[in-house]
Amino acid sequence: MKAVAATFLSAAALAGAPSYEIVDILTASTVADTRAKDWKPGDGLALEVSGMDWTADGKLALSIRKGEVWLLDGVLAPKPDRVTYQLFASGLHEPLGLLRDGKDLLVTQRTETTRLRDTNGDGVADEYLTAGAGWNVSGSYHGYAYGPKRDGLGQLWVTLNVDMGDHSDNRAPWRGWGGVLGEGGRFIPMVAGLRSPCGLGANLAGDMFCVDQQGTWIPTTPIYHLRAGAFFLNPEGIASEKLPASPVRLSAKLPEKRPYPEALKALPEMRAPAVWMPYNKMGRSGTDLAVCAAGGRFGPFDGQMFVAEFTDAKVSRVFLEKVEGEYQGACFPFVGGFAAGIVRLSFAPDGSLMVGMTSRGWSSLGTKAYGLQRLRYTGVVPFAIKEMKARPDGFELTFTKPVDKVRAADVASYRMTSHTYLYSGAYGSEEIQVAPNAIVSAQVAADGLGVRLKVDGLREHHVHELHADGLRSAGGEALDHADAYYTLNRLPKN
Amino acid sequence: MILRAAILLAGAALVAEPLVTGFERFHAATPTAEGGRLLYNELGCVNCHGGVTGLPAPRGPALATVTQRVRSEWLRRFVADPAAVHPGAVMPQVLARSDARTLDAVEHYLASLGPKAEPKGPAKIMHVNGGRGGELFNTMGCVACHAPGQDFVPPEGAPKAAEFTHRSVGLGDLKAKHSLDSLGAFILDPLKVRTDGRMPKVAMERQDAIDIAGYLLAFRGSDGRLDEPVVPVVADKTLALAGRQAVLAARCAACHDLPEDVAAKPVALGRIDGGCLDADHVRGPRYALAEPQRAALKLFLARKGEAAAPKLAAELTLHALNCVACHERDGQGGPDAARKPYFQGDHNLGDTGRYPPPLTGVGGKLRPEWLAKVMAGGNRVRPYLKTRMPQYGASTAELAKLLGVADARAVLKFAGGDDTAGRKLLGTQGGAGCITCHRWGDRPSLGIQGPDISNIASRLQEGWLKEYLINPAGYRPGTLMPSFWPGGKSFNPSILGGDTDKQIAAIYKFAESANGEPEGFPRNRHGEFEIVPKDRPVVQRAFLDGVGVRAILVGFPTGVHLAYDGDQGGPGLAWKGRFFDAYLTWFSRFPTFEKPLGERVVAWPKPVGRFLGYRLDADGNPTFLNEQGGVKVEETFEGVAGGLRRIVTWTPVPGFTPAIHHPPELAPTEGPAAAGRRVFTYLWK
Repeated sequence: MKAVAATFLSAAALAGAPSYEIVDILTASTVADTRAKDWKPGDGLALEVSGMDWTADGKLALSIRKGEVWLLDGVLAPKPDRVTYQLFASGLHEPLGLLRDGKDLLVTQRTETTRLRDTNGDGVADEYLTAGAGWNVSGSYHGYAYGPKRDGLGQLWVTLNVDMGDHSDNRAPWRGWGGVLGEGGRFIPMVAGLRSPCGLGANLAGDMFCVDQQGTWIPTTPIYHLRAGAFFLNPEGIASEKLPASPVRLSAKLPEKRPYPEALKALPEMRAPAVWMPYNKMGRSGTDLAVCAAGGRFGPFDGQMFVAEFTDAKVSRVFLEKVEGEYQGACFPFVGGFAAGIVRLSFAPDGSLMVGMTSRGWSSLGTKAYGLQRLRYTGVVPFAIKEMKARPDGFELTFTKPVDKVRAADVASYRMTSHTYLYSGAYGSEEIQVAPNAIVSAQVAADGLGVRLKVDGLREHHVHELHADGLRSAGGEALDHADAYYTLNRLPKN
Repeated sequence: MILRAAILLAGAALVAEPLVTGFERFHAATPTAEGGRLLYNELGCVNCHGGVTGLPAPRGPALATVTQRVRSEWLRRFVADPAAVHPGAVMPQVLARSDARTLDAVEHYLASLGPKAEPKGPAKIMHVNGGRGGELFNTMGCVACHAPGQDFVPPEGAPKAAEFTHRSVGLGDLKAKHSLDSLGAFILDPLKVRTDGRMPKVAMERQDAIDIAGYLLAFRGSDGRLDEPVVPVVADKTLALAGRQAVLAARCAACHDLPEDVAAKPVALGRIDGGCLDADHVRGPRYALAEPQRAALKLFLARKGEAAAPKLAAELTLHALNCVACHERDGQGGPDAARKPYFQGDHNLGDTGRYPPPLTGVGGKLRPEWLAKVMAGGNRVRPYLKTRMPQYGASTAELAKLLGVADARAVLKFAGGDDTAGRKLLGTQGGAGCITCHRWGDRPSLGIQGPDISNIASRLQEGWLKEYLINPAGYRPGTLMPSFWPGGKSFNPSILGGDTDKQIAAIYKFAESANGEPEGFPRNRHGEFEIVPKDRPVVQRAFLDGVGVRAILVGFPTGVHLAYDGDQGGPGLAWKGRFFDAYLTWFSRFPTFEKPLGERVVAWPKPVGRFLGYRLDADGNPTFLNEQGGVKVEETFEGVAGGLRRIVTWTPVPGFTPAIHHPPELAPTEGPAAAGRRVFTYLWK
């Protein structure tokens, strides 16, 4: 979908007008000195956003990598030119996640999750209480910690990077693991096999998901459904399986340099990602996810997941379904052109999506160093593939608007290939076992809002890549994004 | 032998057959004429029997100085039976094994060749550090060919014997052969003695060479003057004359550089069987060949007249010089599983940060002038590799040219190139952000320190650069380098119309023009982020030496500052003067263990409780909340003139006294105590 900067919004009412607009709150090109003598709130603040949530009175609470938490008021104004910034907490160690808990804020710093409390009501935190700890921190730069995020049971989840570089110690407790905070804030490990699980979030059913990043052992950005006992991809921190608290014990030798479907068979504890986001085609480094519950105020995508991406500075969309009791689904391109590498997403109370960014330390196509932007739905319904569901003999697509039935019924309007990846310690994987899938038939629903594709050669644990370039809406519009990528872990039986 | 048992691990050459590592690794399994060509050259067959192998000439060590740098006893034993004294030696046995008189004469003849030996005192080696030498030997690349030391355990653990896929080049009984001084001199510049580069020269300081020698000789102590020097042989004229006859008869000059009057005439090769290839051969040199070696030589001899095509000549030269010990080429070679752990470097760059680059297509990658300089010892672009690329002397004189022909690719010349766009593309302000990971000349990158890319125009061929930028993993699987032109499609349609060719040409052009640096390098901010507590205490968490990863630093306007242990709950360090520079903690991707900025740092003994958090009072003073043995213990710190006040409070429980420690070098004064409350003042006088 095309997005447009706020200044061009006047064109929105016209036909073909953009469905989403990006509104700048604060972006900047350089890391400024917030302690300079002439510093003014908002004008030199290094807003390297690392965590976001909303206070009970509608302020945006936001952590930045420097180690501060700010309360921003006025970010949802149509023209956000009167945003106020209030410093709530400082002195933290690179917090990378923030969650409101009643009146308090929880932030996860490198070494612990901390409860920030304002006990005297002056708008500034005066208590910094340890609310979660128990993982090793070696001092390696890559030893990041993320979260907390709350699942449907009320459990608070935290995920931990594997170490890299100087001081690395991945044999020490829980690097590359995710878990929940138990009594007294004790870290209870739940899942292993993570590498750089930068973003977490629960879906509407309350199940917890996390996005990891392409790298060693990880062919391309995956989205995992987190649950006790699962091992995902990266074995670099697996040594902790020997600790008494571990719910994971690998029962077989690590199947290195094997196609992923074979690796899965060889290692019973390995759980397949619900979705693979193919490298380059869907961005490169996934960083966060947010599930939409905007009641239509963010367009026709309620219940779907929006995934942030760093290198290409864009947001993608994910549709999930349960097949044989396991999540799987499709990802779709959504909106690009953000100012910097996106690290955090948060749906605002008004249904718009806040996008927090910082490019420091990596490379992003976003031209700014950091910032905060807001993605707002203009009310113009986009023509998009809304859902892509697996069927025993193909896929079912649903659309946001009725399609041109003649084109939709023509198998030549579609093209599909499938691929999987090589499971190995290398940094990322090429797509392997690439093969075309013939579209045998396309049956359009009576209301024009769906099409049933019969497809040859479906393969489990392969990503099925659809290009529907020939589709048009009944009104003649092309799809905003004609490609979709379905991770077919299991073929439904019926 | 004792030495080897003490310091050398499995994989040392203990088999008598001559070791040509390149043959053993790549040609022994299935004997071929190509493998035979390599052996024919490397075993020196070519030196007697002639022919053009297309490979750099193998030469024996310089003999004019040998009696001054090698112990006499060893020399005689070695000449008598090279393979027995030095398993794997390529030198054949040329003299009778037990003719002591001839050996004596040969030694005197060799002694007569050199400059007159000065009566030498002990070498003036004041200091030798074998431990340091071991570190160097086992990490700078020596163990790519030689066996690693058993006493050195690489960070990933020692390899298993089974992981050595081929023999290592043995060192023989070094103690019997060398003194500290002579071995150090050899290690410092082997090309002086072994001009054919089969033992290459690694750039190092003299002290490095002495330390490595000390390690290999298992030298005890650190005073090199206590070493037993090599005693040079003083030539006896009569004996030397007899020796000359023996040297002439044994045709030593075929392989060694010797005076004209002992020159060895070529020996015509009438047949391709028997002779030196026979195990029980008596006339002429005797090689203890293994069966695959013999088979390969025979295959080659049948086709000896055929010249080697450049591709083959390049390949075999890389095998002869054992470049493939460190470098992969076309999926072959590189260190085996056993040696990989000894290749160290910068973890942050992944495998590319520790292993030397592949040589696949290198002649079509590097510009020929650049490649020639690399071989001559210059143009080192990967300072993060601990292994050091050595020099091979005259043996690589033709190699760059040969690789250029072998790997030739269709020539691509960028037409023009917009260097302004190139500057933008390389930078972080809307470009590909190359400088995020790559150095630019002497400018460190913004993140991980990948190779310098300011030199690409003088270093890389255009065609290779384009292919590489479109698909970096195609050249080096597992590289961290992403593509910004995946599938040939540019990441940025707004620069030069998104034209991939134009964009890559622009980058090349900008590097060539040397016209400034890419956009996005920050000013050096170090020092600009010093936190100066003015009106109230300032709290900042950081990684701090002496406290750990959970240090909570508190700077007080009164000038004495605290770092609290946020793990076990207790004061860690305190110091006077300046507080803390937060640049790395706030704005680096790589925060590291910091140090206090001030002076007179004191340290408390490690605390014993559990940290629960802290609160700040209206003036910003912290109260740390801890638990000791189930009892909550709080301690407040306040700044006082020239010091700190520490107020410890707890709910009195019968039988409980909190553990309260002080820095050994700083006794506090204690104020009046009350039930569940003690107050201490620490002053920096």
